[in-house]
Amino acid sequence: MSGRSAFALHDEIGERGDRVGGRRVSRARVEHDRPRGPEVRRPRRAPRASAMHGHGASILVAAIASAFGVGLLQITGLLSAVVAADDVAGESGTVAFMLQLLAFVFIVIAAYVGAVVTSNTFATIVAGRVRSIALLRLLGSTASAQRNTIAREGLAVGVIGSLTGAVAGTAIAVALDRTAVATGFLPDVGFSYARPVLAVPIVGVLLTTWLASWIGCRRVLTVTPLQALSNATELRHEEVTGRRGRNAAAVTLVVIGGVLLAGALLLGLLTPLAVLVGLFGGIISFTGVVLAADAVIPPVLRLMGRLLGSRPAASLAAGNALRYPQRSARSTVGLVIGVTLVTTFGVAVASFEQMTRAAMEAEPELYQGISEVLAMVVGVVSLLIGFSALIAAVGLVNTLSLSVLQRTRELGLLRALGFSARQIRAMILAESAQLVAAALVIGLLLGGVYGWIGAQSMMGSVNGSPGIVMPGVPWIVIAAVVLASAVLTVVASWAPSRRATRVSPIEALAAD
Amino acid sequence: MEITTTDLGLVARVQHLSKSYGSDPNRVHALRDISLGIRAAEFTAIMGPSGSGKSTLMHIMAGLDSATDGRSWLGDDEITDMSDSQLTLLRRRRVGFVFQAFNLVPTLDVRANIRLPFELDGRRPTDAEAAWIAELERTLGLADRLAHRPHELSGGQQQRVAIARALSTRPALLFADEPTGNLDSRTGREVLELLQHASRRYGQSIAMVTHDPIAAAYADRVLFLADGRLVADRERMPAQQISEFMLSMEVPA
Repeated sequence: MSGRSAFALHDEIGERGDRVGGRRVSRARVEHDRPRGPEVRRPRRAPRASAMHGHGASILVAAIASAFGVGLLQITGLLSAVVAADDVAGESGTVAFMLQLLAFVFIVIAAYVGAVVTSNTFATIVAGRVRSIALLRLLGSTASAQRNTIAREGLAVGVIGSLTGAVAGTAIAVALDRTAVATGFLPDVGFSYARPVLAVPIVGVLLTTWLASWIGCRRVLTVTPLQALSNATELRHEEVTGRRGRNAAAVTLVVIGGVLLAGALLLGLLTPLAVLVGLFGGIISFTGVVLAADAVIPPVLRLMGRLLGSRPAASLAAGNALRYPQRSARSTVGLVIGVTLVTTFGVAVASFEQMTRAAMEAEPELYQGISEVLAMVVGVVSLLIGFSALIAAVGLVNTLSLSVLQRTRELGLLRALGFSARQIRAMILAESAQLVAAALVIGLLLGGVYGWIGAQSMMGSVNGSPGIVMPGVPWIVIAAVVLASAVLTVVASWAPSRRATRVSPIEALAAD
Repeated sequence: MEITTTDLGLVARVQHLSKSYGSDPNRVHALRDISLGIRAAEFTAIMGPSGSGKSTLMHIMAGLDSATDGRSWLGDDEITDMSDSQLTLLRRRRVGFVFQAFNLVPTLDVRANIRLPFELDGRRPTDAEAAWIAELERTLGLADRLAHRPHELSGGQQQRVAIARALSTRPALLFADEPTGNLDSRTGREVLELLQHASRRYGQSIAMVTHDPIAAAYADRVLFLADGRLVADRERMPAQQISEFMLSMEVPA
């Protein structure tokens, strides 16, 4: 796989060629080089192997998002077809519409989570490649050519991931269909699985992955040629460049999102469609939070760090969160999105139940048998949100392992200065603990607000609704989120830190 | 009309160059009002103890860093206020670099590393350039190593690849920063002989930053820097004398 960077370089030549009008020449050159390829670019454990590992996870993320979108559309399409075949009430149009709307909401959430995770992963990959990017800059490659190279990798990830996912999603739907028909659960309606609407999740995931990689690698532009000659691997220039503009954009997004969320809350008293306004309000405001992550997250991390005590490993860990704001923000964001997502869902369902119960007490005859329906809705929605949580988890594990692996040199220095391997692992563990705590605080707060507004906007207008109520608190969901986050984070950072401390300090210090 | 760098027989020069970091009262001066020129087709060594500003000077002359004050030319072009993209083209086409850490792309083989400047320029070497590269590969003893990757080579071989890459575009000026810093003394001498050879045989202009008197002794001209100032400009001199001169600079004035 490591031969890929050689191809990336060749791609970039094509790019340069385009710009100087030498496309034909450089393409020809690429072709000319290919036959020699196999021996020259023999797969080998090379310094960029970790970056390729990163792409594997991004492909998986895109594939899950696409499989989820395609599978959901296939299944809802199939169900609509079944309903239409048995259309006595003439209501199949409405049912189909509602199913599509529901599918749309969850596909947008999955694609969005995938995009945040992917851009986060690409940012991590770029941080690991700073030295080689700086070297090529030193030798006269432009910053934009370097960025294009990485964004093209993002496009490839998007294409491979979304197509693989589409096949997998359809396969799952077909399997379910066959099983249901075989068991007599559904009639065989001869549903056609090749439908143009499937292009929406496929192209959507492809484009969001590409866009996410483009956004994630924006830091390439701040790599200076001099970095090839220094030991710094993490970028800090960014704090000076473009910081103000970025914060302004983040605040704007949070404000716009906040206004939409408030609007959804009020509009929810009139129509359940207000949940769509709330969806976009949530996405926009969360994007603002992600954008400001390296300004917002480190102070929260420091606060959590104070709780760790003052042993060297702990105090070093607390300091690291602030010394490398970008790295700690990148590691936390992946967890924040997962926690927010699951909490949103948990709070929404709890509030939803609360409101239904209140409505039920107000007009008991209208809500007979609602409990079974409620239980089913909760089950289906959990399954749907579970996919997005899975995407977030893949992203989290990947970003964390990558960022620990990229610290070989730093960890080697600590080893050389007399830190024991055990102390290093304690430090990483302490950092992870801070990270989990900070992500939980942020995620639970955000999720609480989003979930409450979600339930309120969807249920505020139904018969017998009590209007605006306090959010429900799903203790079991929260406990599960806390536990799952802690386990994921510790596993994802502890395993690579074991690997990182197994190398001798000398080797670690010599590593690029 | 202003006199040009070429009229002076120079390939690069700086005028009243200053560089400082931080702000008052903690300002650190890396360079203080330095003016000097690097002569064309000559091997120039820039000597000085650590912290004398020699690396900063090289970075500014190569367009990698910007000066606080003063002007800098490469050939007849003033690079003081060039944009990042202009400097990028300049590095790609007119400057070569050899560093202490060999700075090869680990995933590319020797052949691709040497041709990297052309690839970055989006073109194939012309026939004349290809012949030149072949000659470089032969003289530098790399001809049978072309399909190897950097990690399969010794330090000396890696540095020879870096030199071949730097010379492949026949740059106006080759910058070398402690090129023997990571090599044992025998391999180091070979590398220095190669640089000397490039300058004498092919008229390659070289500016080498070093604090090693033995390395500086291979140069045609030695510039001494201390505390961000140019303190002496000498013709070729033996290592012994360079060493003595360096020691005399250490004595407080």
